[in-house]
Amino acid sequence: MKLFLNLLKTPSFVFGVTLFLATLGVALVLPWFYDVDTVGRAGTPYLPPSAEHLLGTNHLGVDFVSLLITGLRASLYVGLLAGCIATLLGTFLGVYAGYKGGWIDDLINLVTNLFIVIPYFVVLILISASLEEGRSLQLIAVIIGLTTWPWTTRSVRAQAASLKSRDHIGLAKVNGCGTFQIVTLHILPYLLSYVFMVFIIQIAAGILVEASISMIGLGPYDSISLGVLMDDAMKNEALGDGIWWAFIPSTILITAVVFALYTLNTSMEGVFNPRLRK
Amino acid sequence: MPIFEVNDLHLHYLTRFGAKIHAVAGVSFSMEQGEILGIAGESGCGKSTLVNGLMGLFIPPLYPTSGDVRVGGESLMGRTPKDIRENVLARKVSMIPQGAINALNPTRKIKHLAMDLIKSHEKGGNKNEIQKRLYDRFNLLGLDAERVLNSFPIELTAGERQRSVIGLTTLLDPEMVIADEPTSALDVTTQKAVIKLIFNLLDKKIFSTMIFITHELPLLRHVAHRIAIMYAGQFVELGTAEQVVFDPRHPYTRALMDAMLSAEPGQAKKETKPLEGAPPNLAHPISGCRFAARCPSAKPDCRINEQSLRIVGERQVRCDYAE
Repeated sequence: MKLFLNLLKTPSFVFGVTLFLATLGVALVLPWFYDVDTVGRAGTPYLPPSAEHLLGTNHLGVDFVSLLITGLRASLYVGLLAGCIATLLGTFLGVYAGYKGGWIDDLINLVTNLFIVIPYFVVLILISASLEEGRSLQLIAVIIGLTTWPWTTRSVRAQAASLKSRDHIGLAKVNGCGTFQIVTLHILPYLLSYVFMVFIIQIAAGILVEASISMIGLGPYDSISLGVLMDDAMKNEALGDGIWWAFIPSTILITAVVFALYTLNTSMEGVFNPRLRK
Repeated sequence: MPIFEVNDLHLHYLTRFGAKIHAVAGVSFSMEQGEILGIAGESGCGKSTLVNGLMGLFIPPLYPTSGDVRVGGESLMGRTPKDIRENVLARKVSMIPQGAINALNPTRKIKHLAMDLIKSHEKGGNKNEIQKRLYDRFNLLGLDAERVLNSFPIELTAGERQRSVIGLTTLLDPEMVIADEPTSALDVTTQKAVIKLIFNLLDKKIFSTMIFITHELPLLRHVAHRIAIMYAGQFVELGTAEQVVFDPRHPYTRALMDAMLSAEPGQAKKETKPLEGAPPNLAHPISGCRFAARCPSAKPDCRINEQSLRIVGERQVRCDYAE
């Protein structure tokens, strides 16, 4: 509770939370008041912004506000799912490797380093490109989650390895705690604040990575995300024709979400880490 | 019948490159109910390794080579880690750790630490009954059970934390308690307070049989009935506290006493004599007496002949020439 009050005293945290809640509001609350229609034609293609269509229409004549709301929702969903997978996987592997040590540690380290040295974006492109059919939003999120965990593993492993030689872990061991109990009750609580911060960064990374692969045309077939909107704009020469409403709003939305998440992360670091506390 | 028996125990560490380091090489002793054994020796002589062996806690890279440890007639060798965890640790053999003040998990209340301990050893206990047991035990330790159990470790004083740790480790009434350097890194006044606390607990019959490990030899005299001196993984002298402290027979014990400055009466003007050299490297096989290289009274054949424990002056000494 006190921690939360401390967070609220940090201006950057308040800013980050407000910005993030605002984007969440656009994605989740706005559809209640706005008639979202991503299929029907609302007018002629590339209508400029007007009172009727606040952000104009796309190359098919679909209302852009509807598209942005749907796209933002999809992007947030991908980020959340990918972030959950990457954080859970990374934390679990990291804690286990760090605490167990020995050959298990060596093996997990090897795999982690392999994933770090192979440019994950190339892996992502290859996987996405090889899946001609059924490239759904969930699948993209899972692929992103399965390729972005190594850095989490690495930092969590280092912390777990340093924690395991603490006196209270020794006491837990001689009192008969098993590995599972030690990891969940004695090591994870220590890392929770860090893992939470990593989780936020992973969400942001998930959103960005999804936008990147969607923009080069390897995004989901079945849904509209912010990256897909940009891909559409690119394919239809929106930039050359000066149709700014086709790509500027989606760029601003992605930037706002990711910026909000990064601000949250840095502001939390200042509160969670006693050395940085003012 | 002895409650605790150690028979020719050998333990080794396995390094990453396959080399074996024989940290404990042939330790034997037995203890009766209610006895306190002190084990002393310099850093790196195998005290802490021995402690792990005595609890059956073989966490890689530590492995048992040979020998046997029996608690109440039951062997600890060749059992699964799960079996050791559930049936031996904290229940039969318990340890008061080094630096007891920092040994409590700062993210959990004392109550929860105690509950974890009970739950991992006893299946399906009545919650109220366990709670009552906890309160009784913490009150017996001279703590305000209501307050201490509901506190995080950081809210307690150093003394309360120390008592809480001891309360936790002895909660399941183990037959044997091992105190691994509970007084090291403490000032003399605090050391005395810890010793007083341990006597207090002995008086209250919270535990009765104890192994007390330290490198403060003079302190042991107040605590232990018998003292074992350890060097390079072996006991070199094992006798009553009076014998070992006031009339040491093994050259290493003598050197250890000479090098010690203690806060005992009559010792103020004593001059210390440090011992030159370092203990042997345990990664290689050692022939002859392990102490020969540093021994002031070594004879030529000491480096060749393996020394065995023999009775000198009513105690065991590992030296062919001790008198």
